[in-house]
Amino acid sequence: MEINGKVVDKPGEEHFSVSRNLHFRRVRIIKRIATHLVLIAVAVYSIFPIYYMFVNSLSPGITLASVSINSLLPLPTRLNLANYTGLFRFDGSALLNIWLPNTLFYSGSATIIALGLSFSAGLALSRFRIPGKRVILYMMLILSTFPLAIMVIPLYDMFSELSLTNSYFGMIILYSGGAVIFNAWLIKNFTDGIPADFEESAQIDGHTRTQALFRVLLPMVKPVLIMSMLLAFFGPYSDYLLINMMVSNGKLDNMAQGLYKYSQISSQAINFGQFSAFSIVMGLPIFILFIVFQRYLVSGFSIATYK
Amino acid sequence: MLSWAGNWRGKKQHGKLDWHGYLFILPILAVLVFLDFSPLAYGIYYSLTDFSLLHIFNYSYVGARNYYIILFENNPSLATLIWQTFVWSGGSIILMSSLGFMLALLMNQPGIRGTKLYRTIYLFPWAYPAFITILIWKGLLDYNLGFINKVLAMVGVEKVYWLGLSSTSMFSMILVNLWLSFPYYTFVYTAALQSVPKELYDAARIDGYGTTGTVRKVALPLLKRQISFVTIFGFIFTWNNFYIPFLLTGGGPGTSTYILITYAYNEVSIAYPSWGLASAYAMINVLILLVFVILINKFTRMMSVVY
Repeated sequence: MEINGKVVDKPGEEHFSVSRNLHFRRVRIIKRIATHLVLIAVAVYSIFPIYYMFVNSLSPGITLASVSINSLLPLPTRLNLANYTGLFRFDGSALLNIWLPNTLFYSGSATIIALGLSFSAGLALSRFRIPGKRVILYMMLILSTFPLAIMVIPLYDMFSELSLTNSYFGMIILYSGGAVIFNAWLIKNFTDGIPADFEESAQIDGHTRTQALFRVLLPMVKPVLIMSMLLAFFGPYSDYLLINMMVSNGKLDNMAQGLYKYSQISSQAINFGQFSAFSIVMGLPIFILFIVFQRYLVSGFSIATYK
Repeated sequence: MLSWAGNWRGKKQHGKLDWHGYLFILPILAVLVFLDFSPLAYGIYYSLTDFSLLHIFNYSYVGARNYYIILFENNPSLATLIWQTFVWSGGSIILMSSLGFMLALLMNQPGIRGTKLYRTIYLFPWAYPAFITILIWKGLLDYNLGFINKVLAMVGVEKVYWLGLSSTSMFSMILVNLWLSFPYYTFVYTAALQSVPKELYDAARIDGYGTTGTVRKVALPLLKRQISFVTIFGFIFTWNNFYIPFLLTGGGPGTSTYILITYAYNEVSIAYPSWGLASAYAMINVLILLVFVILINKFTRMMSVVY
């Protein structure tokens, strides 16, 4: 507006189209440089903590006190994997013997259970004319704004009454239940967008209705299945809130609890390299999955909120 | 991009009601009953008892005493806790939403190069598990050993008690939340801006609007509904966002950064286990959330997606 305003406001200048163009171009270049400066500054802000963690995990003998600009820009020859080998031996190899297997077990079983249940429920909610469906959808919508986090204390009371605390079974109920509602909701919405003609023609070809749903529709809803699989896996993977409440037996601990033990500043100060290595070992798989499947996750999250 | 453009109203379904469909949504119903309604019922019940470490096996009904304690006796008072939660949630959402919108606008300008690269980089804070990066931030913000204060000292600025003063720690929490959450808002708003037809932007330019004018006169009015929806849901989500207040400050110094959910979890049920009192806090939080949901429904007709 400024540019246009200036040009029009000053009579006489409009004849000098060359200088007008120059002025216009100069303002555009300045604007563009300013834009890139802002975008680059935010990019540095985004990357820095992850870069910091990564470099420190490779710097042997680093402590929180000895981190400096020099140590963050090290020569490649000064980097090695000593922190990682130290990490795997720490606490009787608890990471490899307890925390990692437990985490994978919780996340894996929650993913399988939640995916199966939310797939069939999502399809049924989209395609079947179930009595009372609207009431159920209302409940799902309202309760999906209530995270399990605010229920954790009543849940603890209830689980302790039912002797489900300190058990794998109890944790898996919580984790798969926590993912089912939202995922079923996602799958239902995605399926609503696929015309029913496909299954109908399969039914004409002699499949039963259930067969038609599972054989014809399943391949078409693959994107949303990938998304709900990832969501169901990510949730339990870095859960601390629920498991810390429900489990007091160290044999059932997961990686988040292990990392938390490392994280206190006093211990960060001493074992900082190992803490960083732990952060990389635990976080990198999720990070890679997220980046690889970003198009599923990002579009799925936007549909979930603003429609 | 995937085609998520679903038919949200669902296909018009005909034929008889399908009781058979209950077989498929049984798991949903089980989760609703077992993980949402029963904890609510249990929560209400336990909030009326003195279930605590002292009375772990012989707790008894005490009427509304827990609620009386919360309202009149406990320090910090309920009003303080709600105010802190409100500051946390409101401050976060204002910063996150405006940074996200600004970045989306900057990257939506015609002829800006490298937006794909920027977008991938902006995914990083979202893609890395928050549980880990919050702990990394805690180390970065440490008063004596933290890297940020080291940089400040190098430039000659006085060190800041990022997490050690009640006046700054809430601000630091919000800044960490900004780092974690701005990618989400950037992506949602980018999708929203791209859904505005290009012709409208062109028309605005021909009419002589500059960048700000286009945003004010074209983008904002068209996206008003989406922006308010995203912002309101972001507010509710942040209201119950547990990990940042829990891991970064643990409620301290004093009780100045406790929000409702971390106070109930940390102070009432871990430090001085009194699960009855903690349940009462949880029930109050559920009540507040219910009020929010009703208000949102009034303003955005969230429930209309069900039909």
